[in-house]
Amino acid sequence: MKAPLWGEFRSQKRKSHMLGPIQRIETPMHRFPEGEEVDYVIVGVGAGGGVVLQRLARAGFRVIGFDAGPFWDTERDWVSDEKGAHNLYWNDLRITAGQHPLAFGANNSGKGVGGGTVHWASFAPRLHPSDFRIRSEDGVGFDWPITYSDLKPYYELLELELPVSGPSYFPWGDPHGYPYAPHPMGGVGDVLIQGCTKLGIRVSAGGPVAILEGSRADRPHCIYRGFCIQGCKVGAKASTLITHVPDAIGNGAEIRANCMVSRIHLGENRRVTGVSYFDPEGREHFQKAKAVIVAGYSIETPRLLLNSACPGFENGLANSSDCVGRYLMAQAGNVVLGRFEELVRMYKAPPAHALTEEFYETDPKRGFARGFAIQTVGPLPIAFSKQMMTAKGAWGWGLRSVMMDYNHWAAFGFLGEILPNAENRVQLAEEKDQFGIPIAKVTFNLYDNDKKLIEYGKNKTMEVMWAAGAQEVVQEARYAHLVGAARMGDDPATSVVDQFGRTHDITNLFICDGSIMPTQGSANPGLTIMALAARVADCLISQGEKIFNSNERDMQRPPMRRDLSPPDTWGHGMPTFSS
Amino acid sequence: MAELPDPRLERSLEEVDLDLREGRFQRWLSLIAGLSSILSGVEVAYEHYKGSYSRRIMYTPVILSGALALGGVSGFFSRRAAKTVLPALSVVTLADGVTGFYFHVRGIQRKPGGWRLPIVNMIMGPPIFAPLLFGVSAYLGFLASFLRRSEQPDRGVLPRPAHPQHWATRLTHEHEPITWSQDLREGRFQKQMAMATVISAFFSGFEAWYSHYKNNFRYKVQWTPIIIAPMLMIAGVGAVKSRRAAHTWLPAVSALAMVNGGVGFGYHIRGVLRRPGGLKKPIYNIIYGPPLFAPLLFAASGFLGLLASLLRREKRK
Amino acid sequence: MNYQNAQGDRRPVDPRTGKPIGPMAQPGYYPGFSTLSQQKFWDAKTRDVVLDRVNNVPPIRFFSPEEAKLLEAICDRVLPQDDRDQAHKIPIVPQIDKRLYENSHDGYRYVDMPPDRDAFRLGLRGIQEIAQQQYGSGFLDLGPREQDEILQSLHDGKPSAGHEIWKKMAVHHFWLMLVSDCAEAYYSHPWAWDEIGFGGPAYPRAYMRLERGEAEPWESEEERYEWEPPANSLSGKYELVAGRVEHFGSPAQGGTH
Repeated sequence: MKAPLWGEFRSQKRKSHMLGPIQRIETPMHRFPEGEEVDYVIVGVGAGGGVVLQRLARAGFRVIGFDAGPFWDTERDWVSDEKGAHNLYWNDLRITAGQHPLAFGANNSGKGVGGGTVHWASFAPRLHPSDFRIRSEDGVGFDWPITYSDLKPYYELLELELPVSGPSYFPWGDPHGYPYAPHPMGGVGDVLIQGCTKLGIRVSAGGPVAILEGSRADRPHCIYRGFCIQGCKVGAKASTLITHVPDAIGNGAEIRANCMVSRIHLGENRRVTGVSYFDPEGREHFQKAKAVIVAGYSIETPRLLLNSACPGFENGLANSSDCVGRYLMAQAGNVVLGRFEELVRMYKAPPAHALTEEFYETDPKRGFARGFAIQTVGPLPIAFSKQMMTAKGAWGWGLRSVMMDYNHWAAFGFLGEILPNAENRVQLAEEKDQFGIPIAKVTFNLYDNDKKLIEYGKNKTMEVMWAAGAQEVVQEARYAHLVGAARMGDDPATSVVDQFGRTHDITNLFICDGSIMPTQGSANPGLTIMALAARVADCLISQGEKIFNSNERDMQRPPMRRDLSPPDTWGHGMPTFSS
Repeated sequence: MAELPDPRLERSLEEVDLDLREGRFQRWLSLIAGLSSILSGVEVAYEHYKGSYSRRIMYTPVILSGALALGGVSGFFSRRAAKTVLPALSVVTLADGVTGFYFHVRGIQRKPGGWRLPIVNMIMGPPIFAPLLFGVSAYLGFLASFLRRSEQPDRGVLPRPAHPQHWATRLTHEHEPITWSQDLREGRFQKQMAMATVISAFFSGFEAWYSHYKNNFRYKVQWTPIIIAPMLMIAGVGAVKSRRAAHTWLPAVSALAMVNGGVGFGYHIRGVLRRPGGLKKPIYNIIYGPPLFAPLLFAASGFLGLLASLLRREKRK
Repeated sequence: MNYQNAQGDRRPVDPRTGKPIGPMAQPGYYPGFSTLSQQKFWDAKTRDVVLDRVNNVPPIRFFSPEEAKLLEAICDRVLPQDDRDQAHKIPIVPQIDKRLYENSHDGYRYVDMPPDRDAFRLGLRGIQEIAQQQYGSGFLDLGPREQDEILQSLHDGKPSAGHEIWKKMAVHHFWLMLVSDCAEAYYSHPWAWDEIGFGGPAYPRAYMRLERGEAEPWESEEERYEWEPPANSLSGKYELVAGRVEHFGSPAQGGTH
């Protein structure tokens, strides 16, 4: 076929806001009048903010979600192109420092409704039970104020809401199964299976990923186009933009897109009163709210709190512990690349489709605490060229030559746990952004355990690549995923928020994103962030008005509200195994 | 009450041939319908697993094929079951297949690009004819319900009106001296069976074509079902037109298709074993390897052809 | 451009015959493969963006004409295209200029780097200073070997001159930014996709042959040919940037997971 039937695909002349080719937002969004006080303001509509927004709206609260970026129409705004997807990332300036500085932008940030979930590869493994108590078990890091069993029902719920596809039996951590079937894999997945099988390493094929294997309601089945991290135009890959935000809007929530929140205001009685923000035209407004939820992720959340310093909180809002901005973590994410005699064509199929967590737990024989996972990745040409630049030092004719072999390469991502350290932190820089708000300066160093873990894990990952039959194996150092910088804990002196995301210092100020995670494990954090957000939402909803008019801190476990899930959660997929 | 297999079941080849010609093979056709239903049931179970049973209705063919398998087996043992449960289940299964066909067409339409990208979306979408192919065993079950049992006493007796108890006869008004149900009952449905062969060969040949095309015809042998399917269809059409073709071409090509399906089954097993991880990933490799039972379903078309060649031609005009 | 023919043939070589290869419309191992020929299968938005990239080369607005000329010579070595004919060279400097003119970046800056705009201007000056110090003339007047030696010294993190400049910015960070920008401009172009056999945009139509590197019906099979970089180039072999074994000093972005 030289063309689709009836000619080339054209943009349709339609008014509705499209989220994928079928799903659309038909009803006009509710707008709260200027000056009206709402129940909740949520700053940032990403993984955490999107879920909590949807829950609160469904429970009948009046809620506004602010996002500094656009409210994407996936048909009109997104492209099936690597370079053209640049606007999905947080591209405002940040300064990166330290001996082992982090990269930002495409690596680990999102800007726009859906946040980073619009361009995550969507690996959605759970944390292991051991992740919640690494201080007690391994003498490193920090214990969570909750255990795995507190989060488990939320993991199960979110795996249905997204939903997550994967094997019916996932053997690591707390063994469990997935409600959607594993995906067919592309060449890279086959290479990982091949290598792991050779070495006798157990490996999970075809998931767990939050990509539809089987269409669900108005979201189509995955078409294996490999552009997951450029934004899924198909709507098969879950993002809060398409899974939770439509339901929030349907229940009366307002999304204020392209609005940058610059400051949280503190009123009397150590309570916040609302936020200042810049509208798309750059005018500053104040939005009054009975409570504020910050969900800006590990850089913007501490930045906003630090920028909201005021009398009584000179070091930053809710920062009496001096922990805001500290204990920032990134996962070690070295990319291991192998060249094969046969063609691989790694641009086909989702980059995320197979992994092993065989090395996840602490093994005293290895000489370091905690562990790592090995996952598939599928860099497209630009990303691959940069990997060749660092992994091989390629430039000039060497770069041209190795790029002509693009289709012969496969890539694995090593995902290693870096331990929290107080000196890995977010601070404010001298420089200011386009709104005049001081930008973030991030300092990051690797410490002894981290270095040993990376060395071991990198070598193990390369071993798997060799075992799969590669002729040449190279690797580049890299980080994946941020978490931390406003961690949760029981002790107000060493943490920023309690187990329900409520700041220890201010009873109507909450944080609900990856920054509250005290440690990170070797699992991609997206699912955990969403599960935590659903738990935070249950707490807010069960306490109701008390949050708005009392400084009392109720630490009772809230009942789980399964009835607040988006409606498409139910009636699809398969029964799952749960231990 | 289940009848025990009659000692008279042990008979000479000539007698078996006579039984077939005279429609006295209800037991065996019931059993075959049941067994083929198991095959297509397993196939639909893992194919729908690949679709995550995302719609509840996707469970129905799995449940029905299990029921039909039971129905077929009980039809083997009990004449009453063969006349009641089996046809009822068969009709429900056929209806389910047609419903499934609708949903598969719709599923292709709902893929990005929909029917404007017919080839890619048929290959990557729900298999369009699979639900109808699934109806083949139901068709066999339905046929079986009309037949006679070899131990039945009316052997050699002149044709008589159709068994009045069969409820399906009430669906049509039958006034002709020799009715369609009577033709069936007496093994005179060669043309019908030849037509069924044509349809089944088309469905399974089409599936073989696009799934081998998806695989880029990596092995030359992948062309064989694509070549044999139209041959079988032509032979089937020929058999409808001419008695001679029904006794020469049809059985020859049918046998070829059955052999081909058997060989294909072997290749598909090998394909599954050769996948990364091999037997260490049995379920994954079965669902994403070459479809194990598809060649057997292709062979089943050949079986229909072979059966047709052994039958008598319809009397009713 | 006078430097083009300064010293020796800049084209890659066929090792069997010793003869230069090209210039040709489409280098690479996928002859006849054209992603642009598939544009009717792309969604409208993607088609607009990609065609705009191909058809509307942005004008030079940030760099002065002299700077642009110098950068062009540098990019011609960082990402040489001498095997491409004139009509099929992929514009690189205009894309870098556009990025700097719009002041867009990847969302972060190393603490040891000035803003990207300043970094490029400083880097150009630094390269000229090395050229003057080592060869007593401007970069533009040098032959390919000398030009590559200068770039190789940046790659190795050992520039022979311009130390004032490299105090203001880390040389390997500048080098990586320069190569990244060139690579991004080149490998975001459909002609480069054709060269390396990448399928290009894939929506609404995507792929059906996911495994074993099999080609879609509209893709091409690989047909390899032997070639070597020209003898007067230094960039044909691989050495780690700045000789570093561990690159956490400049972590990469791509291949997110």
